[in-house]
Amino acid sequence: MQIWKCAAAIAACALGAAAAQAQDLRIGANLPMSGPNAEYGELFSNAAKLAIEHINADKLLSKKLDLVIEDSQAQPQQGVVAMNKLVNVEKVPFVLSAFTAVSKAVAPVGDKAHVVTVNGGAIGPDLAELGDYFWNVIPLVNLEVQAMAPYLVKERGFKKIALVYVDDPAGEAIRKELETHLPKNGGALVAAIQVPRASQQFSGVAAKVREASPDLVYIASFGAQQAQIAKQLRDNGVAQQLASYSAYSAPTAAQLPESKGALYTTQVINWSGDPLSQRVAKDWQAKTGKEPSAYIANYYNAVLIFAKLAQALEKSGQPITGENLLKQRKAMSSFDVVGGKLTFLPNGTVSVPLQVNETDGGAGKPVKTNIVVAP
Amino acid sequence: MLLLQLLINGLQLGAIYALTAVGFALIFGSTRIFHVAHGAAFTLAAYLFWWSFTKLHWHWLAALVLAAAVVIAFGVAMERWIYRPIQRHEGAFFTVFIAAFGMQIVVQNAVGTVFGRGFETVTVALSRAVPVATGLYVAPVAAVAIGTAIVCFIALAWFLTRTHIGTALRALSDNPDLVRVFGLDPARLAQVAFALGSALVVPGAALTAATQGINPNIGAHIMLISLAATIVGGIGSLTGAACGGLLLGLAESLALWKLDAQWSEGVTFVILFVFIIFRPAGFLGRPLGAK
Repeated sequence: MQIWKCAAAIAACALGAAAAQAQDLRIGANLPMSGPNAEYGELFSNAAKLAIEHINADKLLSKKLDLVIEDSQAQPQQGVVAMNKLVNVEKVPFVLSAFTAVSKAVAPVGDKAHVVTVNGGAIGPDLAELGDYFWNVIPLVNLEVQAMAPYLVKERGFKKIALVYVDDPAGEAIRKELETHLPKNGGALVAAIQVPRASQQFSGVAAKVREASPDLVYIASFGAQQAQIAKQLRDNGVAQQLASYSAYSAPTAAQLPESKGALYTTQVINWSGDPLSQRVAKDWQAKTGKEPSAYIANYYNAVLIFAKLAQALEKSGQPITGENLLKQRKAMSSFDVVGGKLTFLPNGTVSVPLQVNETDGGAGKPVKTNIVVAP
Repeated sequence: MLLLQLLINGLQLGAIYALTAVGFALIFGSTRIFHVAHGAAFTLAAYLFWWSFTKLHWHWLAALVLAAAVVIAFGVAMERWIYRPIQRHEGAFFTVFIAAFGMQIVVQNAVGTVFGRGFETVTVALSRAVPVATGLYVAPVAAVAIGTAIVCFIALAWFLTRTHIGTALRALSDNPDLVRVFGLDPARLAQVAFALGSALVVPGAALTAATQGINPNIGAHIMLISLAATIVGGIGSLTGAACGGLLLGLAESLALWKLDAQWSEGVTFVILFVFIIFRPAGFLGRPLGAK
């Protein structure tokens, strides 16, 4: 009899927990939590968790919001496996994504299942063409290069530029954009050196860069590799100005001593501009002891946009599905988020003002701000 | 001048590869254990050196001693607590490989959790190249890498040829049963092989932390190179492994002279395939079938 009572109690607890879990609203995150780009996964997921903490504390939704994280390892194949799990097993209506190659691989899975996939970190221009269910809350790299090229050539006088780029869709996209926009502004791409994603040795690349005698070296990589490139360029006699794109705002690259003075583009985020931005900046600093970057705003915003859409759906009595989230986004279009107002373009991308930053050992300081580029 | 620059870079890289490859070859040659976790030892050594030197501001020698002590303990523990129980239960070669591979992943994740998953580097003046001729930059660390490799190999050769334990280790690789007949304990000798082989990753790991920078995944790459160097040099030959490591470092660097940078690592494996097809015993290994 005692055994039956215990079993009944355990079953009741288990059912209770399952019921509570079933009542929670869950969204997914398909981010690199291991491997050489795990630094990004940690950063992005912590930003999403902070948003969830705020949303739950403010009771924006009728149910508690939870985040289910799967590890993409920043690899397309692993990303698809993770996406399938989030879509088919976890049954989430909304997934956070990152990295161009991974995002391109997982988008068809989300599109087929009518699950919204939101990118806050990848920058390949192809990401604008992945269908209705793929949204970007980060400006894509074509805009970043278009903002950077005239600044480097016309305002700073760096006319001869060498590019060291990773052989993935993001690196290729940056090469194409520089090839197009440098000549338009009176500059030239004097060398374009492609490196494998897994490569960690760049002393020979430095020799090739020196041979090209550029005014500036543009690094188009991400994760640990971009920091390794910067360090090894400097160690091997490349003293020229360094430049990059938003991936360079990752602390390991931006705060590397060898990176000091490097220029990189990001969207404009005024952390002291409105109460929401102030709250996020304050809480982020309290949790991590670090200044927030644009990535923090992007992944926070992605989750906040979900909450605002879900809130609207709850008010109108509609279920929170990918299809309804898409309809609601098209109906709302603009959102008050961290950094100000964010407006989606019809293709699911955003157009926001950009800025050029200079690394200073900390969060970087803007050297040219409010650059508006037409998408 | 580019060729000369790439040659110097290749020698520096090759010296690091040679040190790690000889460690792997010593363990594999003596014990026939496919110690894939050798890459994990490299990761551990690199992070411990970086942490004690950069964060704790220890003297570089003390940092090296700490790294060596921990990786020797790691290697010996792997032999004692992972490989030996598997082999005692007649575990297949594949079981040992999976166990070692699993440990590599465990260490990689543990290092990421403890030290962070980002990029770390040891900033020392020695890694900064200075111009020695027009278009030719050489960092003092290149001489340190090559000198360290030479000293380590001379010391290892002396140990293996002039000491009883060294002679026994060489005998172990030839005939473990004969070692037992002479009253020596193969298990203890295996532990010596693991200790020595693991210690050999330390200089390479410290030099890598200073020249390339490190992240928790660095061991997987170095393991691949060590394996390739062991095969190219000839399984069972430490001199072959050292030459293989040097050859692969040179090839990786010199490939940039005429090929695009994305081919630099590919060249390593082209060399490996060439050896597997045309000279599977490696250039200093015993011909297949030889006793």
